[in-house]
Amino acid sequence: MLEDSLFAETYAIFGRWMRKTLRQPMFLFFSLVQPIVWFILFTQSFSQISKIPGFAALTGTNSYLTYFSAAVLIQTVISSAMQSGLGLVQDMDSGYLDKMRVAPIRRFSILTGKVMSDGVRIFIQSLIIMILGLALGVTVITGVGGFVLILLIAAAFGVVWSGISMFIALATRNSEATLMISLLTTFPLLFLSTAVMPKPFLPDWVQTVATYNPMSYIADAFHTLIIHGVDWVVLGQAALIIGAIGVVTLAGTTAMFRRAVFR
Amino acid sequence: MDSIIEVHNLTKVFDPDIRAVADISFNVERGEVFGFLGPNGAGKSTTIKILTTLLRKTGGTAKIDGIDVARDPGAIREIIGYASQDVGVDDDLTGRENLKLQCRFYHVPNGEVESRVDKILKTMDLTEAADRKAGTYSGGMKKRLDLAAALIHEPKLLFLDEPTTGLDPQNRRAVWDYIKSLNQSGMTIFLTTQYMEEADVLADRLCIIDQGRIVAEGTPASLKAEIGADVVQVSLKEDGEPAIRQKAKAAVMGIEGVKEVRDYDETIAVFAQGGSSIVPQLVRALDSAGVTITRLTLAGPSLDDVFLKHTGRKMRTEEAKQPARLPGRSRSRRGR
Repeated sequence: MLEDSLFAETYAIFGRWMRKTLRQPMFLFFSLVQPIVWFILFTQSFSQISKIPGFAALTGTNSYLTYFSAAVLIQTVISSAMQSGLGLVQDMDSGYLDKMRVAPIRRFSILTGKVMSDGVRIFIQSLIIMILGLALGVTVITGVGGFVLILLIAAAFGVVWSGISMFIALATRNSEATLMISLLTTFPLLFLSTAVMPKPFLPDWVQTVATYNPMSYIADAFHTLIIHGVDWVVLGQAALIIGAIGVVTLAGTTAMFRRAVFR
Repeated sequence: MDSIIEVHNLTKVFDPDIRAVADISFNVERGEVFGFLGPNGAGKSTTIKILTTLLRKTGGTAKIDGIDVARDPGAIREIIGYASQDVGVDDDLTGRENLKLQCRFYHVPNGEVESRVDKILKTMDLTEAADRKAGTYSGGMKKRLDLAAALIHEPKLLFLDEPTTGLDPQNRRAVWDYIKSLNQSGMTIFLTTQYMEEADVLADRLCIIDQGRIVAEGTPASLKAEIGADVVQVSLKEDGEPAIRQKAKAAVMGIEGVKEVRDYDETIAVFAQGGSSIVPQLVRALDSAGVTITRLTLAGPSLDDVFLKHTGRKMRTEEAKQPARLPGRSRSRRGR
């Protein structure tokens, strides 16, 4: 392995972030608190939803817990992705970004290494939530293969979604702003999607929003893998959505990153 | 004539219209310690950031080792080290991990990483703390770790942006000693500072920069010689009562060799040629004017005086804020 290859540089940056993340287990756990509360309390309070006529026919399951697990997973991914920008703000404040900028590494590897580590972090957090789901009684019809695929989709969606947080972080250079803006812009989308309720149960205007809401497609992919089995059309749509979001957020992040780095 | 840094008419304008650096030119010779002395906001950090490729210049040229900073920043990054004002250390990583990562940033061959890190840890007296998180380090230790990181690739030119700001006197002295030993091993060092004493102790040559402009340049000795006078500071019994002070100043001005008399806090400062021989005359003159002296100190000209002369202002630093301090250090305390 050449010491000055893009791979070696990215790996060094990636390793740094992984160390930092794993060394703060509380930080890793912190963003999981809310999803865990949801999982345990919401599914108890709303368990009767599955008794509404048509629920089982529409969703393919008579357990609201199973249906709602997709929403919890998406929530986990969103709140995890929201943290991505915080590390960048910290690096800009502490002078560490300048430390990297003054070194003869490719500017781009600073970003790729960070993005990769975010993917792994989101994967780990998704894994924890899914294991909790299994413990609570969620069954994944597609088995181990489907389970892994769910986590990979979650991580991929998380990476492209984290671009929003990084964009805001690079633009504002402020942790609070990064968290607040990411929260306010992304969170309502979850409730305006098919993640929490099958589409026919939603009010008309929410149905319209849900149709154009990318989160609906991610939720559908999770629902399929958990409840129905592999459906390549649904999975293909999710992949396209992730790709499209990725083009937008990563282009935006790269542009902002260039502005921060090439001054 | 072998300059490692060549700067011509360098200008940096920040939006909307702030001229942080205005048309400065200077050269740094190979093997010297070059100081950039000035108060906060003078343009020191802006200059160092342009030279270290962190910031783009607006106008003029800057070359490092013959390479234009605007043309090939990558080549410059290979040969320079930079320790910024804010310590760029990752608090979550141990000292050793910080340095290993730094090796990766500078493409140090895998086989050499361990030995290089061990060596620099030892030099910086950080071996014992090497496997503790940097977040647990004291300010002085962090600064040393940061300096170690800047040196990991054995740069031929080292940039230090206010290397001792925020350090206590003991740590400051340790950093000075280390900078001197680096220089003795052949490294060229460009440092900025807002401490007169630091520039005086470390720099072979220096520029005084104020409001984005270079106001003076030379060796510390030549700059001080330009003042052409020693400084006698006299405290009066009535403690600066204006009338008494006026009387004292009038009496002193008549003495041959006195170039200037200036109020300095509660005392008067007398700038005079051949300071020590003038002291007896000074005492006699004040005595016959009926003014009682409570304290009298004599000092050579200092860089404070140089700054004062070129800018018409005192430099605002922690050092200068101490009350009733002579613009210069008393002779008995002079280091060199």
